[in-house]
Amino acid sequence: MSDTLISRHRPLSLLAALILVQVLLLAFQIKRENNVRLVRYWTVQTLTPVERVGTWSFSKIGGLWSGYIGLRNARTENARLQKELDELRMRNRELESQAAEGQRLASLLNFRNAHPEASMLAAEVIGASADPTSHTLFINRGERDHVHRNLAVITPEGVVGKIVEVFPTSSQVLLINDKESGVGALFAGTRTHGVVKGSGDPNPRMDYIVNDEKVQVGDKILTSGEDHIFPKDLPIGKVESAKAAVPFQVISIDPAARLDRLEDVLVLLTQQELTPKKTDEPPAAANTPPHAHN
Amino acid sequence: MDTMLSAGARSESNVEVHKYYGGAVPLVCFLALVLQAFLHKYGRVAELVDLPLLVTIYFGVSRRNPVSGMFLGAAIGIAQDALSHDNPIGMYGIAKTCVGYVASSVGARIDTEHPIARFGLVFILFHFHQVVLAVTERVLLARPMPMFTLRLLLDSLVTAGVGVVLFALLDRLRRRQ
Repeated sequence: MSDTLISRHRPLSLLAALILVQVLLLAFQIKRENNVRLVRYWTVQTLTPVERVGTWSFSKIGGLWSGYIGLRNARTENARLQKELDELRMRNRELESQAAEGQRLASLLNFRNAHPEASMLAAEVIGASADPTSHTLFINRGERDHVHRNLAVITPEGVVGKIVEVFPTSSQVLLINDKESGVGALFAGTRTHGVVKGSGDPNPRMDYIVNDEKVQVGDKILTSGEDHIFPKDLPIGKVESAKAAVPFQVISIDPAARLDRLEDVLVLLTQQELTPKKTDEPPAAANTPPHAHN
Repeated sequence: MDTMLSAGARSESNVEVHKYYGGAVPLVCFLALVLQAFLHKYGRVAELVDLPLLVTIYFGVSRRNPVSGMFLGAAIGIAQDALSHDNPIGMYGIAKTCVGYVASSVGARIDTEHPIARFGLVFILFHFHQVVLAVTERVLLARPMPMFTLRLLLDSLVTAGVGVVLFALLDRLRRRQ
């Protein structure tokens, strides 16, 4: 088609070619400002936009490509870091757990060292009652460890409960806030006796305290030893609230032991009174006035 | 070039195509260039007439072949550039290429044997030559060159007048058919 067009307009095509040749001839001779030859000026002016577009395109494509690669790498890196973070979190939880366990065990050890005269057995809480109204738990010590019924279970903070069922390698502990529980108790300050009973609520109550007895919130309550299970003067808790009622006051106790978060406990193999030889964290008995032991 | 011009002339048949004695065309062109350069020594008088332009127009019109006309114009123009002091080669070349093409095209369509037609044709092509020259100068050299002045008008009138006489003289070089 172009051949036909050129042959049809042959003279005109030749004229254009001839002029073009002479224009190029001129371009090789003429120098513009800055002593640049016209042909070079034209060439640069013609090619520079193309180069600019090419450079821009390559830059954009390169940017997109590197962005894509970077994004892919970032995604992979992100997944790897997320995985690493999860592992570290898990590891951190393990370490925290180990640290907490270490603290608990250290506390138990200190308590045990403080009472060398008392025979006690460290136990780990391995389960709890499936009945929500029953406040019991299971420990990993049983008959094989010389555990039997009605042994006191405590923590360095205070009384936990007593052994109610014994199995070869485990035992069931009735907590002091269970409805079936009863612990001989007394006020550390007034030495007024009563019984700590469970109510089914998280907090046990102090029963048999007449309304004339002055009871204040925060008063410390200790074991009295009258139940022949718990040694005398072990901390049970503090008065949380006290209301006058008929025939006795209704006294709610904030347990000293954290009954809802028990993990390690001590089983007292004897009812011998705990007389601290040397204590870092003296039990409540240390804060109470001297009294007569049973 | 003569052969080329003759070959080109055969393509046009509706208007009479003139042929010249061998070597007449190159010789006349050469003489025009030499005479122009010679007359240049006499300053303004020489500038009144553009002999190479007249020769380009004459042979373009006579041969009535655009291809041969443009090549003849290019050759004369480039030679004129080469003889000039400060013109880059191609300035007059482009202008006279265009003039040769237009003259041949016009000559192929209308009869330009009459002196008045010749006068008018030279007058017009002189200014066309000037316009092409000015455009080329402006575009390529970035130099402001006038397209039309009174002096150019005077030059064109003188050149057209000289052209009428010169064309009549050059007619004598035609070969009789």
